Amino acid sequence: MTRYGMAINQTRCIGCQTCAFACKMQNGVAKDMRWNRVLTEGGGVADDAQGQYPNLTRTYLPLACQHCENPACLKACPTGATYKDEMGRVEIDYDKCIGCRMCMAACPYNARSFNWAEPAFVPDFVYGDGQVERRERGVAEKCTLCKERTDRGEEPRCVQCCPLDARIFGDLDDPNSEVSKVIVERKARVLLEEQGTRPQVYYFE
Amino acid sequence: MELFKRNKAATAVLAVLACVGVGAWIYQLVGGLAVTGMSNGVSWGAYITMFMFFVGLSAGGLIVASSASVFHIKAFKRVAMPAVILSTVCICLAGMFVLIDLGGIQRVWRIVTGPNPASPLVWDICVITCYLVINILYLHFMRKGAERAVAMVSRFALPCAILVHSVTAWIFGLQIAKEGWFTAIMAPIFVASAMDSGLALLLIVLSALNASGRFKTPKELIASLAGLLATCIAVDAYFIFCEVLTMGYPGAAGAETLALMTAGPTAPFFWFEVIGGLLIPFCVLVFAKNRAKTGLVVGASVLVVAGVLCKRVWLLFTSFIGQNVAGAPGVMTADGWAMAGSYAPTLVEAAIIVGVVSVGALGFMALASKLLLPATEEETVPAATSRAGAPDLEFDPQVA
Repeated sequence: MTRYGMAINQTRCIGCQTCAFACKMQNGVAKDMRWNRVLTEGGGVADDAQGQYPNLTRTYLPLACQHCENPACLKACPTGATYKDEMGRVEIDYDKCIGCRMCMAACPYNARSFNWAEPAFVPDFVYGDGQVERRERGVAEKCTLCKERTDRGEEPRCVQCCPLDARIFGDLDDPNSEVSKVIVERKARVLLEEQGTRPQVYYFE
Repeated sequence: MELFKRNKAATAVLAVLACVGVGAWIYQLVGGLAVTGMSNGVSWGAYITMFMFFVGLSAGGLIVASSASVFHIKAFKRVAMPAVILSTVCICLAGMFVLIDLGGIQRVWRIVTGPNPASPLVWDICVITCYLVINILYLHFMRKGAERAVAMVSRFALPCAILVHSVTAWIFGLQIAKEGWFTAIMAPIFVASAMDSGLALLLIVLSALNASGRFKTPKELIASLAGLLATCIAVDAYFIFCEVLTMGYPGAAGAETLALMTAGPTAPFFWFEVIGGLLIPFCVLVFAKNRAKTGLVVGASVLVVAGVLCKRVWLLFTSFIGQNVAGAPGVMTADGWAMAGSYAPTLVEAAIIVGVVSVGALGFMALASKLLLPATEEETVPAATSRAGAPDLEFDPQVA
C-alpha cells in the first residue's frame, strides 16, 4: 500500500510564504482562501517572536490538511464527498458536496475553506494547473496533497518550491523512503496527537 | 381558517414577514452564503442555532401528548391536540433551517443516494423524518378519535422524541475538534433543554389560545404543566452544572473554554441563560401559589424559551472562537485574516429567520383552525375524542 505523507522541518522554515503562494497558484485557490497557511507560533501577529528578551525564538508552522489516517472530517461528511483515496490522501468529490460544513466543524486543524461566494480571483482570471478541478460556489475545499501532480509521480508544489528544502514528501508505508527515515531519525511529531486523528503530515526540528 | 379571520392584522403582518423572508432566501440563493455573516473561522451561524432551538421547542408538545398515553396522565390528553400541532410545526421549521444553511442545496439529493452512515447529520435526517411522520400520524389518529392507534403511536413517539434531541446533540457532541462540544453529557443536556423550552412554549401557546377563546385549557392543567416545567428546569440546570464543573475542575483545556464561556464574547448569553433562563423561572415556578397565576407562568415560560435560545448561542459559538492550532495570522476570511472567530448575523439572515418563524406561526394558526374545536364544544370532553363523539376512554394500564 502507498500512504503519501509529508514531514516539515521547522528549523529550516523561514516563513517566506513561498509554499503558501505556490499552492495557491498551482491549485487555483480563489480569493480569501488558503489551502496552505504559514503560521507563526505564539505571539499575536505574523513573524512575531516568542519568549522574553534575550531568550527569543521564532518558529513557523506551515499548516494545511494533515491527510489524517483517522480523519474527523470524513466521518462527519453526510454524503461521502470526503474520502480517503488509495494513495492515503484525504480528498473531496466536489460533485457530492452539499455545503453543510460538517467537515469544517469536525476538522481540528481548520484546514478547510468554504466557497461562500462565487470564486473570485486576484488578478482577475482563473490561474492554476489546468488538470486541477475547479470548485464552484457552495462546496468545501482544502489541500489535496497536489493529487494531480503526485499522480504523475511529481512532488506536491509546496515541496518542490520550498527554497529551504524544508518539506519532504514520500510514502509513509515504505520504511526506506526519505520521509519515513526522517520521521524516525528526527523524532518527528504530529499536531494535536491527543485528538487521535493520526495525521500523515509530520513536523520536526 | 377561523384564526386567520379573527386575527386579520396579525395574519397580514405574518404574511408580509413570510414574504420578506422568502425574498431574502432567494437573495441568498443568488448570492450564496456570502450574504451571511459566516466565514471560514465561524462556519456555522444563526441558522444552525435556530435549527437546534426549534428541534428543542418541538419536544415539549409531543412529550406531553405521548406521556398522556404512555404514563396514563389523563389530564394531559386534553391539550394533546395543540401540543402535537406545535410539535409538528416546530420540527418542520427546524428542517427548513438546515436546508437554508446548505451551500449546495441543488445537490441535497446526494444525501439520499449516497448517505455516509457514520455521519451524525445522516442520523439526524433519518430520525427527524421519522419524528415528523410520527407527529403527522398522531394528528391524524387524534382527529379520527382512534384512541388505540394514538396509544400505539405514543409508544413510538416518546423514544423518538428523546432520540431526535440526542442525535441533534451528537452532531456537536461527537466532534473531538471542539472542546466545548465534545462531551457525553451533550445529549442529556439537549433532551433537558428541549423539555423545558418545549414545555414553556406549549404553556405560552396554550395561554394565547385561552386568551383568544379558541381553545380552553383549565387553570389546574396549566399549573400542573408549570410544575413539570419547574422540574425540567431543575434537571437542565443540574446537567449544565455537571458539565461546567467537569470542564473547569482540572484547570486544563476545558477551563480555557469555560473562561471564554463565562467571561468571553459569549458570556452575556451564558449568564442570561443561567440567571434569566434557569434561576429566575425556577424560583417563580417552584411555588404552587405562583403556578396558579397564568401571568407569572407565561412570564417564566418566556424567560425559559429566551434562556434556551441563549444557550444555543453560547453552545455553538464558544467553540468557534479559538483555533486548536493557534498561530498568527489565523484563518483567512472575506474580512482578512482572523486569529479568533467572530460572527454577527446579517440583515439577510435575520430576515430569513423572521420569515421562517412567521411561516411557522401561520402554519400553526392554519392547523389550529382546522384541528382544534371551538372552546364551547369541548368544555366537558377532551378535544381528541369529542370530534368522533367517542366517550373519554380511560386506558387500562394492563391493556394499553
